[in-house]
Amino acid sequence: MITLLKYEIYRRWRWLVLRYAALIIIGAILLNRVSSPTYQYEFIGESIGKFALTSLIIFIIIIVEGINMLKEDLFEESGYLTFTIPKKGRTILASKLALLLLQLILWTVITIGFGSIFFSKLPYPEIIQIKTQINFYFFPTVLFILTAFFNFVLMIHFSLTLTKTLLVNKRYSGILSIGIFFFLVYLIEKLYYGPFLNQIKHISIEIGSRSNIDLLSGGYTAVFLNIILTAIFFTATAYLLEKKINI
Amino acid sequence: MEQILKSSQLSKYFYQKKALDKVDINIEEGKIYGILGPNGGGKSTFLKIAAGLLKPSQGEITIDNKKPGVYTKSIVSYLPETNYLYKWMKIKDTLNFFNDLYADFDVERARESLKFMELEEEEKVTSLSKGMMGRLKLTLALSRKSKVYLLDEPLNGIDPISREKIITSILDSYSERTSILICSHLIYYIEKLLDYVFFLSEGRIILSGDAEELRNKRGMSIDKLFQEVF
Repeated sequence: MITLLKYEIYRRWRWLVLRYAALIIIGAILLNRVSSPTYQYEFIGESIGKFALTSLIIFIIIIVEGINMLKEDLFEESGYLTFTIPKKGRTILASKLALLLLQLILWTVITIGFGSIFFSKLPYPEIIQIKTQINFYFFPTVLFILTAFFNFVLMIHFSLTLTKTLLVNKRYSGILSIGIFFFLVYLIEKLYYGPFLNQIKHISIEIGSRSNIDLLSGGYTAVFLNIILTAIFFTATAYLLEKKINI
Repeated sequence: MEQILKSSQLSKYFYQKKALDKVDINIEEGKIYGILGPNGGGKSTFLKIAAGLLKPSQGEITIDNKKPGVYTKSIVSYLPETNYLYKWMKIKDTLNFFNDLYADFDVERARESLKFMELEEEEKVTSLSKGMMGRLKLTLALSRKSKVYLLDEPLNGIDPISREKIITSILDSYSERTSILICSHLIYYIEKLLDYVFFLSEGRIILSGDAEELRNKRGMSIDKLFQEVF
C-alpha cells in the first residue's frame, strides 16, 4: 500500500503543495493584518471569516480530489495500468483513502492552527464568552466528523465502482452513479440510521446557551454506526474493484 | 507442452452485442500465437479478459490454472492499445513504477531496451510521438520476465522503423518458458513471428491452426489467407 500511496502522492504533488501553500499564505496575510497595531479588533471577525471561507474551499477541493482519485482510474485510460498491477482491490482503495486521510490531517492542523491564533487575538472577555457558549463533546465530535467524511467519500466510490461493474462505456455512467448514490443515501437514512439513531435528524448547535449537538447525545453510537457503514462500503468497493469491474 | 492459458466457451456481451461468443482458445508454453481479425472482431476483448480488466459474461478463462486475479496479474504482462501510462510520468518514472510494482520487472533489461528503442529516460510521456509511445509501452511490457505476454495491436500507428524494432524486441523476449499472444490486423508485419493463429470475426473463431501447416495447406501466406477470409 505504501508504494501505491507514494505514486498517488507523486501523481498529485504539485496540486497538493499548491493548495496548502495557498491556505498558509492567505492565513499568514490575514494574520499579519490582524496583528497590526492599527487594526481594530472588530474586524478580526472579518479576517476569521475570510480564512474560514478559504479553508472551506480547500476542504471541498480535498473531497472532490478524493473522489476523482478513484474515478480517474475507473473511467480513464490510466485504469489499464492501475488495475493490471498485481495488487488486491483493498490495497488499491486503501492507498487512495490513505492520501485522503493525510490531506485531511494536514488541512485540520493548518486550519486549527490558524484558527487558534485568530481566536487568541480576540479580547479576553470575548474569548471567555465564546468558550462558555461552545461546549463541544470533543472526541465524539471529531470521530463523528471523520467517520462521516469517509462514509461520504466511500459511498461515492462504491457508486462509481458499481456503475463500472454494470456499465462498460462512459455513456450514462454519470447519471447512473448519481442515481445509485442518492438511492443509497435514502436507503441508509430509512433503514440504517432511522431505527437506531432517531436523534441524528436533529443536529443543532445552539449558540447562546449550552451548545447541544443532539446526535452526540447518542454519543459514540453514531460513530459506531458510521464505522460499520465505512467498513461495509470499503469491503464492498474493494471486492468490486478486484472481482467485478469492467475497465 | 504445458497449457498456460485456457478459455472454454468464453463469451462477453455488451448489452445486446456479443463481443465474444463461446471462444475456446488454448495457449501452450513456448509458442507465439496470433489472434487475427478485423477491428471490432473481439480480439482486444479477449486480451482484456485474460488481463483481468473485463469479466466474462459466460464461460471460463484460466491462466496457470487460476482465474484472472492478483496471481495471474503477477505472471501476465499486458500491453494495451491505449496510452495507459500516467500523464505526469517521465520515462524514468515508468521504469521506477514497474520496478516497484512488478516483482518480475528487469530494470536493466528495460534500460538496454530503451537504448535500442532510442528513448531517453528524461523524456516526458506526454511529449512522445505515437511511435515512441509504442516503443516505450513495448519496452515496459517485455522487460517483465512473465510467463504470458498479451500484446494488443503492438504495431498500430507505428512507423516502419519502429515496427522493425518492435518485432526484434518481441523475438528477443521469446523463450521456451514464455507464451506470447499478439492481437493484430497488421498481419504482414507479424506473420513471421507466429507459430499458431486464430482468426476471430464477430466474436467467433472462424479458423485456427498451426501457421506453417495453414500456409502449406492453403498455398498462401497467412496475410493472403487473412485477406481471403475477411
